[in-house]
Amino acid sequence: MNKSFLALLIILGFVITQNSEKVIARQGQVSFFSYTSVENIKAENNQVSSIIDLQEGTIAVDMLMNAFIFEKALMREHFNESYIESDIYPKATFEGKILNFDANIQGTQVKMIKGVFKMHGVSKEIEIKTKIENNNDSYLLSGVFETFVEDYNINIPPLLAGNIAKSIEVNFKFEYLPYDN
Amino acid sequence: MTIKKTAIACLLLLGSIQMSTAQDLLEILNKEQKSITNYVPPAFKMTRVAFGHSTEVRSKGVLELFTATRFWNLPGDRSQSFAADKITTRIALEYGVSDRLSFGIGGTTFDGLFDSYFKYKLWRQQKGEKSMPFNVALLQTGSYNSSSGSIYSGLSGDFSERLAFTSQVLVSRRMSSKFSLQLAPTFVHKPLGVSNQDNKNFFALGFGARYKLGPHLALVSEYYRTFNPIDSFDTYDPFAIGVNWELGDILIQLMLTNTRNMVEDTFITQTRNNFNFKDPNLHFGFNATYVFHLSNKLKNK
Repeated sequence: MNKSFLALLIILGFVITQNSEKVIARQGQVSFFSYTSVENIKAENNQVSSIIDLQEGTIAVDMLMNAFIFEKALMREHFNESYIESDIYPKATFEGKILNFDANIQGTQVKMIKGVFKMHGVSKEIEIKTKIENNNDSYLLSGVFETFVEDYNINIPPLLAGNIAKSIEVNFKFEYLPYDN
Repeated sequence: MTIKKTAIACLLLLGSIQMSTAQDLLEILNKEQKSITNYVPPAFKMTRVAFGHSTEVRSKGVLELFTATRFWNLPGDRSQSFAADKITTRIALEYGVSDRLSFGIGGTTFDGLFDSYFKYKLWRQQKGEKSMPFNVALLQTGSYNSSSGSIYSGLSGDFSERLAFTSQVLVSRRMSSKFSLQLAPTFVHKPLGVSNQDNKNFFALGFGARYKLGPHLALVSEYYRTFNPIDSFDTYDPFAIGVNWELGDILIQLMLTNTRNMVEDTFITQTRNNFNFKDPNLHFGFNATYVFHLSNKLKNK
């Protein structure tokens, strides 16, 4: 009895580890916009990486903050040095789960992704509505969400309060291809 | 018993496999990205520490309108000047020719000095595989002294005699996220002394430091040691302590200093006051830089 139970466990273990098929995006695009009447600020990062475990529906995103490129060169320095403090917090990460995700559905599906976004040392639970397009082996995830500057403990000097929006619009687009270890 | 134990071990193992999947994903990404996490922010944000240059250069297409003003009072109890007795201003335009090379041209009101410079960023501080412990920049300035001031009256004042040149190797390091340090070995060639017996070539070493008080505010200090000062009158080493306030497109520096000159060859060789709080030795300095971005980095890609 005990032996068959053990065998079952081992088989189960193999099934789980073998089926954890993953897809990866190495050059994902994340951009953000701040619209105010004084100034519009736009920045893009085209080096964001992300990975999805298709079986589990888990997803992780990892981006380097100093890879954001701004219209104004000096703004990138301010962003890294005075706002995001990239030397202390070089990365922003997200880990979460695509709710009710079925990797086998071809074509487009819209799902919620729930997870923890960590930036500037602050972890925050967020939910993002995401469009998932599945073409055979490649997956395309895209979406837009709003985030608040004050949630992430980012210090804006009162003199510049009018230049930086309280709510920042974030756009993302990731194209995933099969990942082999 | 042993089977039971292994079964429990297997269960635990299985559990841990399932529990750790999200964490594993981040670890995989971390490995993928390892090669590009070598960024070190610049040691200084401004192109000056206080009165002297820092290792910073501006990016391509960035134009700075730079104004530096020094205020000081003349000794005397009953000065009736409004605000300050004496004012000198240097107005300059500084432009990023490329991401490494900057060019500047300026003029100073008090001593009629016109100057220009090239600054080239040789190395950027980096960690990781291509580790580089220092920022290194090369500075070459040239200036023309147009003044007919009385202290120069005994000299012939040929055009070539009124030119001066400064060469500097600026070496800085961001020691921590708050503290940066700079050393600047300097050579000055300045034929226009006060008498003909004065040195024409000078060697000096500059020290600069920045300590960040907050995200936008930094305490800075700068000092130049001149090894062979001129003989015909007493000169002192220039010193400054101040704060740099870094805001958007406007960068502001406030300082207390003993030098009223703002170009390398003069403040290194001809600072005539020591640093103390008596008039006319104490100078209040105010530098304001407005930054224009003539190229859009997003469209360039």
